[in-house]
Amino acid sequence: MAQTQEAAERELTMSRAMVEAVAQEMREDDDVFLMGEDVADYGGIFSSATDLGEEFGHDRVMDVPISETSYIGAGVGAAQAGMRPIVELMFVDFFGVAMDQIYNNMAKNTYMSGGSVNVPMVLTTAVGGTYNDAAQHSQTLYGTFAHLPGMKVVVPSTAYDAKGLMHTAIRDDDPVVYMFHKRLMGLGWMPSPSGPKTDVPEDAYEIPFGEADVKREGSDVTVVTLGLHVHRAMAAADALADDGIDTEVLDLRTLVPLDTDAVLDSVRKTGRLVVVDEDYRSFGVTSEIAALAAEHALDDLEAVQRVAIPDVPIPYARPLEDEVIPGVDDIEAAVRAVRE
Amino acid sequence: MVSDTNPHFEDVDAETVDELLEQMVRIRRFEEGVLDEFSEGSVPGFVHLCHGHEASHAGMGVAMQPDDWLAVGGSRLHGQYIVKGVPFDEIMAELFGKATGPNGGKGGSMHLADVDRHLYGHAATIGSGQNPAAGLALAQQMRETGNVVLSTIGDGGTSRGSFHTALVFAAAWNLPVVYIIENNGFAISYSTQQQVGIDSLADYGKPLNIPSYSIDGSDPVAVYETISEAITRAREGGGPTLVESRVTRLRGHFEGDKQAYRTEEEARESNAERDPVTNFQERVIEAGHITAEAYDALVDEIDDEVGAAIQFAKDSPDPAPSTAYEDVLRLPLYGQGEGDA
Repeated sequence: MAQTQEAAERELTMSRAMVEAVAQEMREDDDVFLMGEDVADYGGIFSSATDLGEEFGHDRVMDVPISETSYIGAGVGAAQAGMRPIVELMFVDFFGVAMDQIYNNMAKNTYMSGGSVNVPMVLTTAVGGTYNDAAQHSQTLYGTFAHLPGMKVVVPSTAYDAKGLMHTAIRDDDPVVYMFHKRLMGLGWMPSPSGPKTDVPEDAYEIPFGEADVKREGSDVTVVTLGLHVHRAMAAADALADDGIDTEVLDLRTLVPLDTDAVLDSVRKTGRLVVVDEDYRSFGVTSEIAALAAEHALDDLEAVQRVAIPDVPIPYARPLEDEVIPGVDDIEAAVRAVRE
Repeated sequence: MVSDTNPHFEDVDAETVDELLEQMVRIRRFEEGVLDEFSEGSVPGFVHLCHGHEASHAGMGVAMQPDDWLAVGGSRLHGQYIVKGVPFDEIMAELFGKATGPNGGKGGSMHLADVDRHLYGHAATIGSGQNPAAGLALAQQMRETGNVVLSTIGDGGTSRGSFHTALVFAAAWNLPVVYIIENNGFAISYSTQQQVGIDSLADYGKPLNIPSYSIDGSDPVAVYETISEAITRAREGGGPTLVESRVTRLRGHFEGDKQAYRTEEEARESNAERDPVTNFQERVIEAGHITAEAYDALVDEIDDEVGAAIQFAKDSPDPAPSTAYEDVLRLPLYGQGEGDA
C-alpha cells in the first residue's frame, strides 16, 4: 500500500492521487464534503473516492439517491451558503438529466447576481470510452462543457496532475468541472496505458489552471491534446521519432481557462498543427484550437489536421469503437500528413 | 392534512397584524408603480405581477427571521423580494436594469439575488430552485446555524421532476426547509385542474411522509400561522414541510397577456372575490384594528416611498457596457473584455 511507504514521492495511480488530494483537503477544511452515487460504501465505481467514506463517515461522504438534479442542485445551494462541496456525476453522459442545475444555476449564478455570490463547487465526472460501454457511457463531452461560460474545466492526464489540479479545484472560488478519464485511473479491470501512473509528492500542491504542459519538446509538428490522448500522442511521437520526425506534444490540462500562449508559441515554432481529441469533431476542442491558431498565427501556419471522433455516437462493438476513437496510428498519420 | 380554516386575526398579536397589512400594501403599491413604469417603457423585458399573491408573500415573510433563507421560485417574485427586506430603491433599480440594482442589471425582475439578506434569487427556469434550496438547508444543518430555508414554487413548476427530486432529497436528510407551492390555478394559460388530476398539490408530500398542508393563501393570518409552525418544526430538527398556498392570479401571466384562456367575467369574479389586499383591508378596518384614515395614511406613505424608488431608478446610471465581461467567474479568466482585437 502506498500509505506505508516512507518516501516523499511515491508512484501512484491517477485514482489514488486524486483521492489523496480530496482527503487532504477534507482534513484541512470542514467545509469540504463529497456527495455522489456510490461514493461512500463503494468508493466510487471508478475509484474516485476510495476509502473516503471510511475515514470521514457518512456525514461528509454522502451516498445519494439516483437523482442528479437533486444532489447537484443541492451542491449549488450548499456552495453558495459557504460550503465547498465536491459533487460527482457518475458518468458525464448523464449530464442531460441535470443540466439545468449545472448550467442554469451552477455556472450562471455568479454572473446573474452581478458578482455578489460565488459557487465554490467541484463537479467531478468520469469521461471517455475505449472499453465497449456504448454511446450513453463513453463520451468525454469536453467541448460541451468548455463551450458554456461560467465554469472552469479541468482534464488531468497523469497522477501528478490529478492531485495538483484537484487541490486547485477545491480551493478555487468558482465552479470547476473535473473530468477524469476512466482509462487513466489505474483500475484493475481497465488497464491504463503506461504514463498516467507517476511519482506524486505526499504534501499538498497546486497546479495553476490555464498552464498547459509540454510533454515532449519537438521542432517539426505540434500535437495539441488532452486526457487519454496525451498518452496516445506520446506513443505516436515515439514511433515518428524513429523516422526522424520531431513531434512536440502539448497537454492542455485545463480547457477553461485555456493556455492560448502555449498553443501559439508551439505553433509559431513548428508551423504544423495536429489537434487530437476524444470528443466529437464538429464544433469542438479541435475546431477551437485550429481557429485560435488561424486567428493569431496564420502567417506561421503551414498545415493543420484534426483527429477526433467522427460525428457519430460511440458504438459498442470493439471494431466499431476502435474505428471511431482516434488511435496511435491515426495520430501518426495526421502528423505525417501535415509534413507533406 | 388539509385545513380550510380561516383563522381570525384575534389568534395573532396586533403587531403581527400590522406587519402583515403593511407588507401586503407595500407589495401592491410597489407593483402599481412598476405597472405604470412598464407601461411607460421604463422597465425592459417582461413583468409578472403578484396581484393576488400578496397575502401569501406577506404571511411567509413575517413568519421568517432575518437570517432564514428565502429561495424564490415561480414567476411572481417582486413581493417575495419585498418581504425579505430588499429596499424598494434597489428592486426598482434592478427592474430598470440599472447599475445600482443588487445584480448590477444582470438579473432583472426574475433573478434578483441578495446574499446579504439571505435571498437566493437565481432559479427562474421553473422548478429548478428547490434543489439549491435543499443545498442551502443542508449547509444550515451541517453548520448548525439554526436557520431555516423557505423555497417557493408555482403550481406549474410542480410538474417538473426537479421539484420532486428536491422533496426526495429534503426528506432523506430531514432538512430544515419549507417548500411552499403558490397555486394560483394557472401555469401561464393551462389550468391546474387540467394539468394534474389531484385535489391538492400538498399531496405530493405524502409518499415521503413530509408534513403537508393546503391553506387559503389569500388569508395572510392563515399563511403566517402555518408557515410559522413549519419553520418552528424545521428549526427544531423536525425536517421539511410542504405547504400549498391557494391564491388567485388577478392579472395575466405577464403584462400584455390577452388571457384568451379565461373569460373577462371569470377574471372579474376572481378580482371581486379573492383580492387579498381589499379583503384584509376591510377585515382590519371592520374589526377596529385600524381606522380608514390610518389605512389611507399608510398607503400614502408607501406611495411616497414608491415614487422615490422610481425616481432613484430613473436617476441611476445604466451599467457600463464593459461590465458585461465582469462576474462570469469570481476570478476572471484571460481575455474577458478584451474583445476580438
